[in-house]
Amino acid sequence: MFQGLANGFGIAFSFTNLTFALLGALLGTIVGILPGLGPAATISLLLPLSFKIGSPVTSIIMMAGIFYGAMYGGSTTSILVNIPGEAASVVTCIDGYQMALKGRAGPALGIAAIGSFIAGTIGVIGLTFVAPPLAEFALKFGPPEYFALTLLGLLMATLLGGSSIVKGLIMVVLGLLLGSVGLDPISGAIRFTWGFFMLQEGVDFVTLAMGMFGIGEILINLEKELTTELVTRKITHLWPTLKDWAESKWAILRGSFIGFFIGILPGGGAVISSLVSYAVEKKVSKHPEEFGKGAIQGVAGPESANNSAASTSFIPLLTLGIPGNAAIAMIFAALLIQGVQPGPFLITEHPDVFWGVVASMYIGNVMLLILNLPLVGMWVQLLRVPYAILAPIIVLFCCIGVYSIRNTVFDIWVMGIFGVIGYLFRKVDMEPGPLILAFVLGPILERSLRQALLISAGSPFIFFSRPISGAMMGFLILFIFIQIVRAVRAKWTRVQ
Amino acid sequence: MGRLKHPGPGFLPFGLAIVLIILSLFLIFSKWKKGIASTPFWDHRTWLRPLLGVAILIFFALVVQWVGFLITTFVFLIIWMGVIERIRWRTIVSISVGTTVALFLIFRYFLEVPLPVGFFKW
Repeated sequence: MFQGLANGFGIAFSFTNLTFALLGALLGTIVGILPGLGPAATISLLLPLSFKIGSPVTSIIMMAGIFYGAMYGGSTTSILVNIPGEAASVVTCIDGYQMALKGRAGPALGIAAIGSFIAGTIGVIGLTFVAPPLAEFALKFGPPEYFALTLLGLLMATLLGGSSIVKGLIMVVLGLLLGSVGLDPISGAIRFTWGFFMLQEGVDFVTLAMGMFGIGEILINLEKELTTELVTRKITHLWPTLKDWAESKWAILRGSFIGFFIGILPGGGAVISSLVSYAVEKKVSKHPEEFGKGAIQGVAGPESANNSAASTSFIPLLTLGIPGNAAIAMIFAALLIQGVQPGPFLITEHPDVFWGVVASMYIGNVMLLILNLPLVGMWVQLLRVPYAILAPIIVLFCCIGVYSIRNTVFDIWVMGIFGVIGYLFRKVDMEPGPLILAFVLGPILERSLRQALLISAGSPFIFFSRPISGAMMGFLILFIFIQIVRAVRAKWTRVQ
Repeated sequence: MGRLKHPGPGFLPFGLAIVLIILSLFLIFSKWKKGIASTPFWDHRTWLRPLLGVAILIFFALVVQWVGFLITTFVFLIIWMGVIERIRWRTIVSISVGTTVALFLIFRYFLEVPLPVGFFKW
């Protein structure tokens, strides 16, 4: 294992890979800062680029850099202007912006960066040690296990995030249905194409992602005459005081562990980690009333959590071949484009990819710390571009990116349609996140389901009779049961 | 659709459709029972700008193959910035030119992505 890591460092230190890591980190930070364009959408924009790069290691290194960078960058706008750069930074807005209003933007940004670094490093260390044993365990996974696991992930995604559970479930189901558009992999039947030849390969994730996230977001922002406010306050001391550090260090540590574990579960990931961390910090704090008014732990904890989750969310992808969230799903796509099949055999078949990526994550964390701390002032300048100008440029970028996948304007239409759908969804308060996660996991879910049923000759008991999947199904059922009990109890107390 | 022993292509979609119907009905009923007053989707013409945005996007998709990337992009930017946002002419033109050129260079030369070449061979 250490040999592999040493090898990985060797690969990661190559000039090309270092450059791409830096590029990715830079790009990711910019993207994280810009509202309306998240790491998933950016990585999807760059999927065509990964063709050009040619080497899977390098592409993934860059995309991992983007993913991370976005986590770091997302907190910047959350703190400065109360606009989350991306979903995992929403929680940071709460206390971070309050700190900025009190003139403490510097320490907020600083502690976010430091916390993210520590957490990211812990996450990567965890990845180094846990990944290989997890991969061996993963080899025991057959179709029933994958089905149970995917189901678990999807359910967690709906139940744990977002406002209404029912709406979340609806989005998941829609995503699954969208995933079945095209040629059915097992029987070859053509589904849901309405005679459009172009749809036979199914909807492309990039198109869906850029439509729902990119265009949809811009459309809804168009409703308000959004001219991003200039950051008028000067950011003075960037460095948190010793007192800040003393108050935050446990939050950072706790956040790192929360992110680590939740990040591993598919369907978990950075957003959930940040939510859980915030809740935990509030519970263990001696001054819970401070939360919401500028408690530094409210920034330190969630930011650390989302960064360590970012590192560990690679684990399911690299060891089990299951992407845990939309951005990782894009990386999954990039790997497939490069001809690398993610799955339990990734470590054995493509050790250079695995270890190269892990090693470059260590480096990436350091790079990001260096980028973020001194350059916050510069990043903020990006915010000065009025949204009015930024919006059409983003739309254009999406159009071209989508066009470049298959050189057909049809894809632009599809993207546009998804854009409108995404816009409408946001109007009714339905999150597109679970949809796209379900869209990506859908084919895996269906394939495992049908294979499992084929193996068991139609008996659904196979999911329970095998130990691993039985355990997961059991956990799933228990979890749902608890949620129902909670909901019923809540109704009871309200009635009284 | 196949039977349980041999699930066919219609198996999952059918099941999902049923789940979807149930969930949707549940959602409708639960909101109905709560008696929440329905809020209008859009108040006083907020739908206008998004609609314009969609319209310009449609324009782009329709025209880009005919007329070529460069011109369409340039016009797209001008229309968007001019109609949807109200920015000064000078800024619009300079940004449109700059962005079109930049995007062209990035996508055509740096990434070597084939872009639609229209009538005018541009």
